[in-house]
This record gives sequence, structure tokens and C-alpha cells, in this order.
Amino acid sequence: MKTMISVGLRFCGGCNPEIDRVGVVDRLKDAVQQRGMPAAFVTDKQVPADLILLINGCKHACLDEAYVSQGQGPPILSVRGEMVGDMYVKEEDIPDFLVERIAQALR
Amino acid sequence: MSMMTGKEYIESLRELNPEVYFFGQKIKSIVDEPMFQPHIHTAAMTYELAHRPEYEEIMTATSHLTGEKINRFTHIHQSVDDLVKKVRMMRLLGQKTGTCFQRCVGLDGLNGVYVATYDMDQKYGTDYHERFKNWLIQVQQNDWMPSGAMTDARGDRSLRPCQQKNKDTYLHIKERLKDGIIVSGVKAHITGAINSHEILTMPTRTMGEEDKDFALSFAVPSNTKGVTFIFSRQTNDTRRLDSPLDAGNPKYGIVGGEAIIIFEDVFVPNERIFMAGEYDFTTELVETFAGYHRSNYGGCKVGLADIVIGGSYWTADAHGISKASHIIDKLTDMIAMAETCWSCSLACSYEGYKTPSGAYHINPLLANVVKLNITRMVYEWMRLAQDIAGGKIITLPSEKDLENPQLGGIIEECFVGKEGFPTADIIKMLRLIENMSVGAGLPEAMHGAGSPAAQKIMIARRSGIDKKMDFAKSVAGISEDKDFEKIIGTDEKTYWDETKKKIQEKRPQIC
Repeated sequence: MKTMISVGLRFCGGCNPEIDRVGVVDRLKDAVQQRGMPAAFVTDKQVPADLILLINGCKHACLDEAYVSQGQGPPILSVRGEMVGDMYVKEEDIPDFLVERIAQALR
Repeated sequence: MSMMTGKEYIESLRELNPEVYFFGQKIKSIVDEPMFQPHIHTAAMTYELAHRPEYEEIMTATSHLTGEKINRFTHIHQSVDDLVKKVRMMRLLGQKTGTCFQRCVGLDGLNGVYVATYDMDQKYGTDYHERFKNWLIQVQQNDWMPSGAMTDARGDRSLRPCQQKNKDTYLHIKERLKDGIIVSGVKAHITGAINSHEILTMPTRTMGEEDKDFALSFAVPSNTKGVTFIFSRQTNDTRRLDSPLDAGNPKYGIVGGEAIIIFEDVFVPNERIFMAGEYDFTTELVETFAGYHRSNYGGCKVGLADIVIGGSYWTADAHGISKASHIIDKLTDMIAMAETCWSCSLACSYEGYKTPSGAYHINPLLANVVKLNITRMVYEWMRLAQDIAGGKIITLPSEKDLENPQLGGIIEECFVGKEGFPTADIIKMLRLIENMSVGAGLPEAMHGAGSPAAQKIMIARRSGIDKKMDFAKSVAGISEDKDFEKIIGTDEKTYWDETKKKIQEKRPQIC
């Protein structure tokens, strides 16, 4: 039986996003489900997470300062508008890109 | 070598001795040429202030490549804080000189090429980024001033570079050799070009596959064989040959001492080539450079506004009208416009982000808004400065008349102000306002870092108009508003049906 991993979802405030943050996450959840990946998404910050997924609406990435620069805790994936980490990724490609990254984390 | 002082910078130019023409004549020593000296003094200020404890926090940085203390004008931005300090540095230098201090173009070129070469190497496996870093270390350690040479002469704008009758209207590769390239072509309006140690070239526009010989970036020393400069004219420029008083800003001049750069069969060795045919990265390089450069204008031009506002108030005070309500109203408008532009520069810096290269970039949308505002507001605050200054700024006699024993006394009487304000000082201030508000500084604010149309293209492209339509449709009730439905606890249609029914029941006289 596969072990279920918990993906802690963290949204930025969304003041002026260049991507549809909720849309990206919805499509990511669908893709994860279709591939039968044992991953559950949680937004409750009290629930321990195996992986943190930051959903920043733009490249400025307000969340990164609080999470990435701390350099501790579970691994972090950061969506920064049309970037994931240090790579440019078009909005429509972000869910598939994230699925691959989550699959890597599961391995 | 450590950071140069202003004086050391000027001496370093003496050693460089590039081939420069002005008024059809070759200039033997650029440092000793009175037409060039104000521009050189201004660039020297970028060196001098880096040595002053009261300015070093924004004038210097720590190199991410060597760990050494460097002049911020050679720094690659490593954080949002670096971006903010850069625009603070621009305002400071504007306040200190009242004109363009020229060195920001090279700084923005360094950062733009740094970002683009990294991305090029990721795609093509080239080593442009390493080459560039090696050259950058030399720039930092020698405290060089590179000019940022982007704009080509461009010829017939309806034609692509490769379609031009004369290929030299764009800088291009003529020949590819094993150890380098041979280039020819003409760059125009290049700020600070004659008093820069190096020339950093960049493509002027998006290039297609057929233009790949024009997709070009490299650096060469300014005294390279085959490189010739023609120094450009500015409004009232030869007044600086007449007398310091007539010149307006005799110490620092007006605008950036722009020049045409002619490249005739110039050899560029491989280690100094940073793009040679990668046409698909020309847009990225142009836009990255332009974004950095446009972000500066709410810093430097606001520094100039500080001087013009201060000068306008001083002039009003000298004439006894500083308390008049219309003067206060105009000054307040000038201040509000200047601080609006400053806010834009700060905002686009605070909203900056980390690129894949590790360098930080400004928010491009806001940076273009900065520059678009500058193309309008500088004209408006300079108009108000002229309004406050009065007609004297265009009718003043010359310094020679003032010094004439028979005329000087009459002029003193004619232009005297309130007690405590000598006539000579009043004339000095009016000449400064004339220099800043009537001269080449205005079209520089219009076209420097790109004309308004270029900013509007970028703003339209990056504004996210589709998302704005979604917001409008949601609030208008055309599309679903999930948040509203959560608040009311039902769907919108049911809510409005019930609401209409309640209104009908309570207020039948209206229906």
C-alpha cells in the first residue's frame, strides 16, 4: 500500500496575481487524482506536511520570504506567477510541472 | 585596483584617450575639452560619493562574485534591497548634479546581459554567462564605467535590420573567425559614451532568424581600433565656452553627453562576446535592460525635480512672493508629481523578483509606468518652474554685460530682488532653471530609455486585461461570484428573486 503524503498548500494574499492561483491548484488536484498519486492537499497550517507548496500569484513571491529563506522544515515547492522555483513555466503548464515534482518527492 | 575617486576616474580617462570628434574636429584630449568637462564631472560624482561615509550605504555594494566592496554602479542586484538602493542612489546623484550622471545605462546593461546570458546558456549550452562573469569581475575590480550601447542608427524603420540598404545602420557581425568576430555598424544616442572605459553593446530590438547577425552583444574598450565617437550637440551647449554664468549648470552640464559610436571592422575576441546570433533571446535582453533602465527615471529625474523645486522656491522668495497662494499651489503640484514618480520607482523595486540567474529584476509593468509618467510629468513640473521663474529666464543679459563697467550697475538694478538676495545669485539661479527646464533635458525625459509608445506596448502586454475583465464581470453579476454566494448563503439568482419579492411586498406604491 502506498503511503499518503500530505502537501501543505499555502496561498499568498493574491493582491494582483498574474496567474489564476485557485485554478492552478484545482487542475493540479485533478491531475494528481487522475494519476492515482497518494497525495492529500491540506491548507490547515497546524497539520504537519511532508511537502509545502507555495502558491504565489506573481514573481515577487511574498510567501518565499517567510518559507524559503528560513531554510528549514519540509521540502518546499514555490509557484511564483509564471515561474516554479527558478524556472519559467507558462500558467497552463504549471499543474503538470508540479505533478512531476510531487512524484519526485514521493519517490 | 580598488574603487576610484572622482579625480582618479578623470585621470583614468586621460590614459584611455579614445578617438572622439566634435564640430568636425578630432579632440586631442577629452579630459581637457571644455565642451566635455561638465559631463565628465557629473560621471566623476558617481565615483566620488562612493568614498564618503555618509553615502556609502547606497553608493557601494558587496560583489557576489568576489566578496569585495565595489561601487554599486558595477553591482548585480542580489535582493529587493539592492533594487531599492539603486533608485535611492539615482535620486541622490540627481540632487548632487542636476543632470544625467550617465553611469546607470552601463549598470542596467550589466544586469540585463547577466540575466539573459544565463538563460541563453540553459537553452543552448553556450558559455556566454561565464564569459560575461569573467569580464564583469574586471569591471568591478577596475571600477570601470561601461557605456550601455543599445540603440542602433536604424535607417528605414519599416524594414528589418537584414533588409536595410546599408547594413551599417545596425551593428552586425561581418565575419565569424575562430577566435572572435569582426563587427561593423553604428550605435546612436549613447549616453556617457566618450567618457566610458568600455562599451557594452546590446541588440536594439527583437530580431528574427534572418536577422541573426544583428543579434549581438559584446564588450570592447572605448579605445579599440576601429571605434570612433561623434559627440552630440545639446541646446545652448556652446554657452559653456562663453561664460560659466551663461551656461546655467557649468559644473555638470545638461543631459548625458550623448554620442554616436561608429564601429568599422572591429575585432571582438571570443571571451568578450555575450550573444552572437541567438536571435530568440533578443526580446528578453531588450526588455530586461529596458525594465531596469525605465525603473531609474523616478529616481534620477526626481533628484532633478528636487533642485528645480528648491530653485523655484528660492527664486520666489528672492522676489518676495514665496507666500503668495498661487506660488505655494504650483510648488505643491510640483512636489506631488515628483513624489508620485518616486513612489513608482520604489514600488517597482519593492515588487522585484529573483530571476533564474539569481539576479533580481524590477517589476516590469510598474517600471514602464514609472517611465511613462516621466514622459509627461517632467514637462509639467518644468512648465510650473518656468511659470514661477517669470520671463526673466529667457531675457537675461550675458555675464559679459554684467561685467561691463558701464552696464553692470544698470543690470544690477534691473534684476535686483528682496534684500539679502544679490543680483548675481538671482541670475545664477534663473540660468540654472533655464538650463534644466528649457534645454535638452525635456526630450531626454521623453525618449531616454525608450519613447512613450514603447512603454505603452509593455504596459498593455503586462497589464493582465483578461483578469481585469473577469473582475468586472464578477462584480457586474455577469459571471459567478462565489464569495458573494458564500456571504448570502444561496446562489445569486435565488437571492435576487427573493430580494425583489421582499421589495414588492414592502414598497407596493413604487411598483
